[in-house]
Amino acid sequence: MTTSGVTAVAGADRTRPRGPRRPARPAGTGRRRRLPLRVRLRRDWQLLVMAVPGFVILLVFSYLPIAGNVIAFQDYNPYVGDDPLEAFLRSEWIGFGQFQLLVEDPAFWHAFANTLTITAFQLVFFFPLPIVLAIMLHNLLSSRLRGFIQTVVYLPHFFSWVLVITFFVQMLGGAGLLAQTMRDAGLQPWNIMSNPDTFILLVTAEAVWKDVGWGTIVFLAALSTIDTNLYEAAATDGAGRWRRLWHITLPGLRPVIVLLLILRLGDALSVGFEQFILQRDAVGREAAEVLDTFVYHFSIATGNYGYGAAAGLVKAAIGLCLILAANKVAHKLGERGIYSRP
Amino acid sequence: MTTSRRSLLGLIGMGAAAVAGGPLLAGCSEKPTGSGSAENLDSFAGVLPTRRELSLGITPDIRGSTPVPDGYTTYPGTLVDAITGKPGTSGQVVTAMTPVWGPAPPGYQQSAYLQAVNAELGTPINFTIQDGNTYADKLNAMLGARDVPELLCVPGWEVGKIPRFAEAVKALFEDLTDHLKGDVVNTYPMLAGFPTAAWRHSIWNERLAAVPNPSEGPFPWALFTRKDLLDERGLAIPKTLDELLTAARQVTDPARKVWAFDDVFAMIQIYHKVPGAKLGWRLKSDGTPEFKYETPEYRQALEVMARIYQDGLVHPDIVASKGADANLLFARAGSVVFKQAGVGFWQGVQAEHQKVNPRLDIQPVPVFSAIGGDPLMWVATEPISYTFVRKGVGKERVEELLRIINWCSAPLGTQEAQLRDYGLAGKHHTRGPNGPVKTDLAFKEIANQYFFVSGRNPTIGPFPDTPRYVPDLLAFSNETVKYLEKDPWDGLKLEMPDRFKAFAVPAEEKFTDLLRGRRPLSDADAIVREWKSNGGEEARALLARALDEAGR
Repeated sequence: MTTSGVTAVAGADRTRPRGPRRPARPAGTGRRRRLPLRVRLRRDWQLLVMAVPGFVILLVFSYLPIAGNVIAFQDYNPYVGDDPLEAFLRSEWIGFGQFQLLVEDPAFWHAFANTLTITAFQLVFFFPLPIVLAIMLHNLLSSRLRGFIQTVVYLPHFFSWVLVITFFVQMLGGAGLLAQTMRDAGLQPWNIMSNPDTFILLVTAEAVWKDVGWGTIVFLAALSTIDTNLYEAAATDGAGRWRRLWHITLPGLRPVIVLLLILRLGDALSVGFEQFILQRDAVGREAAEVLDTFVYHFSIATGNYGYGAAAGLVKAAIGLCLILAANKVAHKLGERGIYSRP
Repeated sequence: MTTSRRSLLGLIGMGAAAVAGGPLLAGCSEKPTGSGSAENLDSFAGVLPTRRELSLGITPDIRGSTPVPDGYTTYPGTLVDAITGKPGTSGQVVTAMTPVWGPAPPGYQQSAYLQAVNAELGTPINFTIQDGNTYADKLNAMLGARDVPELLCVPGWEVGKIPRFAEAVKALFEDLTDHLKGDVVNTYPMLAGFPTAAWRHSIWNERLAAVPNPSEGPFPWALFTRKDLLDERGLAIPKTLDELLTAARQVTDPARKVWAFDDVFAMIQIYHKVPGAKLGWRLKSDGTPEFKYETPEYRQALEVMARIYQDGLVHPDIVASKGADANLLFARAGSVVFKQAGVGFWQGVQAEHQKVNPRLDIQPVPVFSAIGGDPLMWVATEPISYTFVRKGVGKERVEELLRIINWCSAPLGTQEAQLRDYGLAGKHHTRGPNGPVKTDLAFKEIANQYFFVSGRNPTIGPFPDTPRYVPDLLAFSNETVKYLEKDPWDGLKLEMPDRFKAFAVPAEEKFTDLLRGRRPLSDADAIVREWKSNGGEEARALLARALDEAGR
């Protein structure tokens, strides 16, 4: 028992860095003498070769296309010149004209506000759910039952949005199961699927149904790394179920929660696309226009690529700022964030 | 914010005036512009092919009154071998993209139909089949990337959705004028049979840029009903708006999962004589162009349609999601009794679903006026689709591709047409008393692939599997054609201003909000003001100028 007590203390120390002070760096790591490049190449060449395909893919499909963002500063016309490259080179430069139009466009700000509202709502009402579910699953003793439940809750993640929405329409729509049952019982069916005022609840419900199970994966992995001795020790010391949850489980999950929260904030301006396109007519553009559908309707569908690229850049810039800010806050609170502080 | 938007509009408006009919971009502007253009197709008679109709010795069973094509009820007994020799000489596979509505047919490795036709062509065509409902998205991406197949089908109604289309045509597609103008077209006798009006629409940048697929009927929309379901309830096909709405209330019964309508707003507009030319324009009595949003007729139609939604007469699945399959709800489930659709919808759906439900009887509702006077029907004379040839394939390849298009354009009464429409005897069709009857394999494999890279002098039928269709359609068409709207801009090719195009969908969506009761109907004026300042006035100026220039 003594040994486990010692481990528990050490473990708690590991998972709970105290205060904003930077943790002490193991001596010598920073100033270890670097081997000459040639030696390192000879030592690591297999690893480097293995990394090449991934690097090429990243270069060709992620970094090269970034250059296409120049069209945000052009009156881009894909048909000038003799080939696509010339179209880039010969389209007229208009500086920040597209951005100026964008800032003056109320439709953009409307989509922006909608997106942020939905993100904020889902941050409160969706983000914690996978954590709760993961903890509940983790506490199940029967591994067969747990495996079964995991399979069932992962499954909806693999359905396409068309399917998910069709499912909701069939269950909750005006001609669906719920409405028919209510009619049979002599009640007036609720308007669930085409009510713009409750649309935010509907999209969140759909997202939860589709992805809550999938979201548990990371948390389950994190839970499995928490030393079970801690629980035993705490139980011996008389901690109840809730105290153990509060003092052991949640602190153990905290780095993962913070990491996912920061990543989610960076994605704050992406709340999905198909889900909103499909239900747009049902609730109207006022409720269902988000940044991604805005870009689609005002850029892709109308061939106004420069405008769309400008909107995309604004979105990316805001996302980057959010991620950096959140990371900063995390560091201030003594968390690791998405990268360790140098 | 509004003021700055207005002043911006002023800027662009002036730019538009300055470059009237000229290049699309005003050079010195700091903001992106695209002011639209107008071409008078009458002035390009010199580039058009001379028409020479083929005589195949077959006579139509029912005459259509122009522009309704003639109808055939029985398949010609003897077929002409119109094209001897194989059009394809190189054997090098042709790439092509065409639309399909419904499940995609198998590719040419798996399709006996494609293999049979490709063997006749000498040079195989490898089709990329795209969903017709989202075809414009695919086209936009493809054109923007300048990566097009050798033969590209562009449906007529998608052209308006593609910005800078004329520029795209110039940059990406072969100029066919010298291959087809005047008597040169006689090298391709099937193409020489096309109506000249269809060729006129194929002019871009003052040159012949595509092979048209001439329209088979002049109506963009019709209202269809399940007559079998009306009969069951002892109801007649309605003849007035009141009768229609009364019938709609009688058939709607959520407990039995039956609702009256899908989205029928276009038909409700037609019943109220809302203008439809160039997607909604007409001339006021003082000669200035007026858009449908500005007319009292449109307001009335809005009110009626909003009431239809409010009274719960539209199927909830259609209200709730774009994913709902209205065709199935109508033709198979009988959950929708009145459905708005293009006329082309009728025969295919009747043929497909009558095999399961022999009592199925789809009929059009005759067009009527809800506001007195004669009814009005919108007109769609533009070709169904255009076939473009990729630029830079070389003169010999262009000629080979045109010979292939020529083969695929063979009209009714030729062996080529039978193979194209009905596939192989014994495999894709069996011979019935009225002509070939398609097998299940035919429904799976034949999906208008070759139809969409060609054209023909339009005829209706014959459709041996739906023997009543041709007489029914001709009766409906010959009556409805009397009420066709006159298009003041007929023969003018208009490329609407970018801002007008960009605001087209948002404006429609705002009116949809009114229809669905999310905003009060009184907001219509505000939307019209917004529409005017977002390209509406620019479009009006363009249309007025186009008429001036044409001397009308």
